[in-house]
Amino acid sequence: MRAVCEEAVAAALAGGASYADARGVVRRSQLIATKNRRVDQVDDVESEGIGVRVLVGGAWGFACDRRLDQTGARDAAERATSFAKAAPGTHERALAPVEPVQGAYRTQREQDPIDVPLGDKIALCLAAEEAMQNAAVKVTTAFVRAMRERKVLVSSEGTVVDQDFVECGGGIEATAADGEISQLRSYPSIHGGSSAGAGWEYVLTLGLEREAPRVAEQAAALLRAPICPAATTTVVLDSDQMALQVHESTGHPTELDRVYGTEAAYAGTSFLGPDDLGSLRYGSELMNITADPTTPGGLGTFGYDDEGVPAVRTAIVEAGVLCGFLTSRETAAKLGSGGGGSMRADGWSRMPLVRMTNLHLEPGEGTLDDLLADVDDGVYFETNKSWSIDDKRLNFQFGTQVAWEIKQGKRGRMLRDATYTGVTPVFWGSLDAVGGPETWALYGLTNCGKGQPGQHAHVSHGAAPARFRNVQVGVAPS
Amino acid sequence: MKGALELAERAVAAAEGDGVEAVVQAERSGFARFAGSEVHQPTLIENVSLFLRVIRGNRVGTAAGNRVDDEGLRALALRAGEAADAAPEDPDLATLAEASQLPEIEGNDDETAALGPAEQAQLAAAAIEAAGDMPVYGFFTSGTATVAVVTSAGFAGEQTSTDTMALALAATDRVSGYAEQTAWAVRDMDPAAVARQAVELAGRTSNADELAPGSYRAVLGPYAVGEILQYFAFDAFSGLALLEERSYLGGKLGERHFDEKVSIADDALDPRGLPKQFDFEGVPKERVPLVENGVLRGAVWDSVSAARAGDSQRSTGHAAPPALRRWGPLPFALSVAGGEAESVDELIELVGDGIYITRVHYLGVIEPRHGILTGMTRDGTFRIRDGKIAEPLVNLRFTIAVPDMLTEVPGLTRETTLANEAAFYDERFAYGALVPALATARFDVTGNGGPPGI
Repeated sequence: MRAVCEEAVAAALAGGASYADARGVVRRSQLIATKNRRVDQVDDVESEGIGVRVLVGGAWGFACDRRLDQTGARDAAERATSFAKAAPGTHERALAPVEPVQGAYRTQREQDPIDVPLGDKIALCLAAEEAMQNAAVKVTTAFVRAMRERKVLVSSEGTVVDQDFVECGGGIEATAADGEISQLRSYPSIHGGSSAGAGWEYVLTLGLEREAPRVAEQAAALLRAPICPAATTTVVLDSDQMALQVHESTGHPTELDRVYGTEAAYAGTSFLGPDDLGSLRYGSELMNITADPTTPGGLGTFGYDDEGVPAVRTAIVEAGVLCGFLTSRETAAKLGSGGGGSMRADGWSRMPLVRMTNLHLEPGEGTLDDLLADVDDGVYFETNKSWSIDDKRLNFQFGTQVAWEIKQGKRGRMLRDATYTGVTPVFWGSLDAVGGPETWALYGLTNCGKGQPGQHAHVSHGAAPARFRNVQVGVAPS
Repeated sequence: MKGALELAERAVAAAEGDGVEAVVQAERSGFARFAGSEVHQPTLIENVSLFLRVIRGNRVGTAAGNRVDDEGLRALALRAGEAADAAPEDPDLATLAEASQLPEIEGNDDETAALGPAEQAQLAAAAIEAAGDMPVYGFFTSGTATVAVVTSAGFAGEQTSTDTMALALAATDRVSGYAEQTAWAVRDMDPAAVARQAVELAGRTSNADELAPGSYRAVLGPYAVGEILQYFAFDAFSGLALLEERSYLGGKLGERHFDEKVSIADDALDPRGLPKQFDFEGVPKERVPLVENGVLRGAVWDSVSAARAGDSQRSTGHAAPPALRRWGPLPFALSVAGGEAESVDELIELVGDGIYITRVHYLGVIEPRHGILTGMTRDGTFRIRDGKIAEPLVNLRFTIAVPDMLTEVPGLTRETTLANEAAFYDERFAYGALVPALATARFDVTGNGGPPGI
């Protein structure tokens, strides 16, 4: 694969490129899903190809080809350079300097998840479903996924990186219905369960069968629960919902390509400006956000990003103050700060974009009960269900599958259809407690969308439960 | 792509089973994406992917890949066969598509198929130039997608579709406007006009006001109508969702719940849309009435959900692409009947006092059974006063029950627009909703966001 990538880079340079990189990718992925105790999906997908990115006269060009051979490499390089040459206007693009590297990376694993027999994966799902049976539950679903990807990157600056990744994950869902309303409960998350950059041992630690009865019982109980009433009150979010909160209201707005507007036509921009670095008060002093592509088990864990920049842990928000962005070499050069390290592409057929890697809310102190204990009247939210946020990542409304009222420091009645809304810096400014390291958990999601044509990114978030004051719950009376 | 049908036939021949289905998807496309009037994410894609479904007894296994030589096909067949062997028996196994009479459709244009990188870049440049001093963000894309389906039960079909789209967001840090155009033939496209429309709209959005939350009468432009209805439809009009009791239609079929001016169909045969001849199981496309004069009529089905429904339910030709098959049958060709209003201005006059919404952003389904969703307006939201467009508004958060929005509809425009609904993830599969602008008596605003602009 290295020789094929080198051929592409050479062809691009011969075609007039001042810079070129080529990524060869071979990916195999499996998704096994069962629904109502029958196999719903057994997908086993292999995909391979090469993506070539070039700079010609300061203009980008990208082309890809499924033929992972010399011919496909040359054709892709020629098409990429021709597209760059055709780009309208004058261009000036600088890349932050990076030391060329020759390196390799391999995800730590005990058991390659692809090697686990399909029959075992199906059996695991069916066992979890069996444990979810409940009269009020109309639909049960269990699923596991596995992925193995080899990726070779060669650049015209001398970088040669060979990386070998594995991922896997799983989850369960129960949908209860009574003809009038329908309620979903899932574990460990809603976003296709949770995944990790790890071997099959990760899936076994999820304990899908163990959690199944609780999930089904809560789905059924939600049918009888009252709708969460509207109020301005104290909220406590569980670590899963905090992962979503981090993703949407700190991850996306700190992607520097969004700050510069290059995602404006689709995913949106950011309320942040380049000049906010080092000065903008993002949240309370308890807010500490880090981007860490070295986190063990993260879906955004790698040795090098798709520009060959080595993985480095970076502070994004420290004590509530914005102190970093997620960057590419191009955006870092434009900012005059940082050196890239967050460029990631979805497979071989897409151009790398600034993406989250593993973005964490650093833990504070105390248990979940400690957070609840200091609430006289409030709502505790658990497990994301709906999410919506504006293009600048300011105004959001998120809902969870289940909530409980908090009365005198303890959980009270279960509530359904609970949502809360806020404005990002105001909301984070109301943060007054974050759970301790023992409550901190890592969630991996595989459905982060961005780019045109669209790309899915696999990212992880570590988060602990957190408490916020004076939050609008539900829809305020007009 | 030439040879897609032969490739699917070779794949079927390579597999061993009591039944085999092969789906080939071939794509040749270009995206000239621009931001700040500069091309920044130009992407050319060439790919062929192959999906194989093997049935052994009552067991089903699938596999997919993009190696199409003999060795690649053998490996694919082996993996699909192993998946079938590993699967438990399926008591409601769906039958494979048999030979059938396919409808005649349009939707494949040689001129569009011939567009290369230079032409795609030129058409993007036309939008950029037309915007003048106003920075524009968007893309021009065109592509050719071939789908071939072959089954061991006798179906063999191949369809090649072209599609093209121009999108322009004209914006500064204080104003923003949006326009788009989608067609299967580039002769119907005018990227410069799209950009000019976005610029004109942006020019009217400065100094936007906030709006008190509450229930308002509203006029929704076609982009807003298309996106809201598409989100609603994925649950409401899916046969699988009906079976799983998460569809709004549950227990209401045959009843009138919407304004009698509202008629919705799924119609992939309409040449004004992005026509398709058959679905991803080889079942012929047909026009499916979903709502007629406000009466809820039905949902769309694929062979798997139809088999589970029993009661002689048959597939309506709505099997999704392999990458989305797990979500069940999906309505990818929504078509809302136009009304009697000759213009959007006439709808605005009908509403009298309310709001105008050009476009919505980041919808989230809060409760599918009642069609409750939330989102933000964007790039052209205005107050309507005295039957006319008045001051611009900030981006508004709304939380609505779509059925409430459709209960009282003062009017719809006669003209319909093809609103793009695809975000071009995975293999290229262009789809859109053919929709008019719509006036509603109820649209619930639940908060204020930031002002227009980026």
